Amino acid sequence: MAAHSMMLKRFTPVHRLFHLGLVVLFMLLSVTGLGWMFAETAWGQGLMDVFGGYANAIYVHRIAGLVMLAGFVAQIVYMATKISWRRPLSNLFGPDTLAFHWGDVKDFFRHAGWIVGLSREPSFERWSWWEKFDYWAVWWGLIIVGVTGLMIYDPVLSSDYMPGWFYNVALWVHRIEAVLAMGHIFTVHFFVEHFRPRNFPYSNTMFDGGMDVGHAREEHPAWVARLEAAGTLERSLMPVPPLGIRILHVFFGYSMIALGLFLLVAALVNFGRITLF
Amino acid sequence: MKTAAKAMVAAAVLIVAVGPATAQRVPITTTDRYPAEEVSSGYYDERESVLPGAYQLYLQTPQSLGAFWGTGPRAAGIDRRSFAADAHAAERGYSPVRDCLDCHQGLERNLHSARTTVTCRQCHEDEPIAGVFHYYSELNPIRRHAYVCAKCHQGATANFAAYVVHEPNPVSGETRGSFPALFYVVWVMLILAGGVFVFFIPYTLAWGVRELIELLQRKEGHSHGSA
Repeated sequence: MAAHSMMLKRFTPVHRLFHLGLVVLFMLLSVTGLGWMFAETAWGQGLMDVFGGYANAIYVHRIAGLVMLAGFVAQIVYMATKISWRRPLSNLFGPDTLAFHWGDVKDFFRHAGWIVGLSREPSFERWSWWEKFDYWAVWWGLIIVGVTGLMIYDPVLSSDYMPGWFYNVALWVHRIEAVLAMGHIFTVHFFVEHFRPRNFPYSNTMFDGGMDVGHAREEHPAWVARLEAAGTLERSLMPVPPLGIRILHVFFGYSMIALGLFLLVAALVNFGRITLF
Repeated sequence: MKTAAKAMVAAAVLIVAVGPATAQRVPITTTDRYPAEEVSSGYYDERESVLPGAYQLYLQTPQSLGAFWGTGPRAAGIDRRSFAADAHAAERGYSPVRDCLDCHQGLERNLHSARTTVTCRQCHEDEPIAGVFHYYSELNPIRRHAYVCAKCHQGATANFAAYVVHEPNPVSGETRGSFPALFYVVWVMLILAGGVFVFFIPYTLAWGVRELIELLQRKEGHSHGSA
């Protein structure tokens, strides 16, 4: 097959399915959650009307939250099966790992230095420090938002195990963590993955499953060099998906970006009109 | 779904707090002795338990509850009128037809008023409006879960009724004294969230500018090369 119809495989179908599920559930939770948070405004009511009103939106929010937590458990199980338990250390500290190590700290400082023109751009391996951060941020975020969400899922049931003032605290933690997650995804994540000049106007890697080898040389030179040195670069290539599928990926991705930016702007505009406590 | 939710709540609680010891579960009623409560709040005997933190909303010395439970809302500085049979008895200019918010400004700033159609009097009850600590008040902690909360929240318990409906502003300095857990936890979360934004937003913007410069330089170099 011609070289231009191949790309460097970065995500397996399982990875892409996890990301797709996360995107759909995250957006569902964002729309219903913001609708609920902004229930006093016409915008918030409009968001909930999409689901048939207040009660349904809350129901969808709760079910989507449970499904997301189930997905989180599935991710933990999946990761556990990916660790080679005979040699966990070489696995966890190997070049393909998502675990942070000392090299990421050095890469971070070099990257920051490169931005301000003080050092050369670091040569990233398969996962750069911000990609690892984005991955683990979902873990920390889901633990915080999931535990507090379960606490207030059915307050009467929860009150068998905790006094009601825990809900005052839990609701605030849930909201702040949700706002942090949405704010981060709708600004930093979208910008880094799609809008910074090297990726502009759109990066299809997470949906197609692979990236252009030339682009990979630019973004992850150490990874490509390692594959070339080991002679496994050819084996790591995958065919570019058919054009129709790629267009579908771009359409889906851009719809989600547009929805995220809409939620961000409308939430900021309406923020002064809600009662938070 | 109920069972799954219950299992997950139990798991969640194991993470954030150690559950009460069996000896702390105090059965405060039986079907025979309190038929009225049975009627109002449903399955009482099965569910009722009182955790050490549940009543501290009404304690003036919650410190006695210890470092963990004592961080909940506390009732220091209760107005004397909160113990009166008619809280407005000595209030000049009071009239039952006046809007509560004429005098109690800001008390509508709570989620019950903001997001539902509940009105003041649906919880604070009929004239004469009793202080919430008056012995026969429906909002008295000994019965508010059954007489008030359970009107909407079926099965509400005394634990449940420890939710602070008129929640203080979590970031205000006063809340540090009146509800320390809320104050500290919210501040920690705000610092975490604020820290992420304060770092990442300028960082990614600068990063974008850096890549833009690189792109322009490359284009320039390219046009020089081809010229």
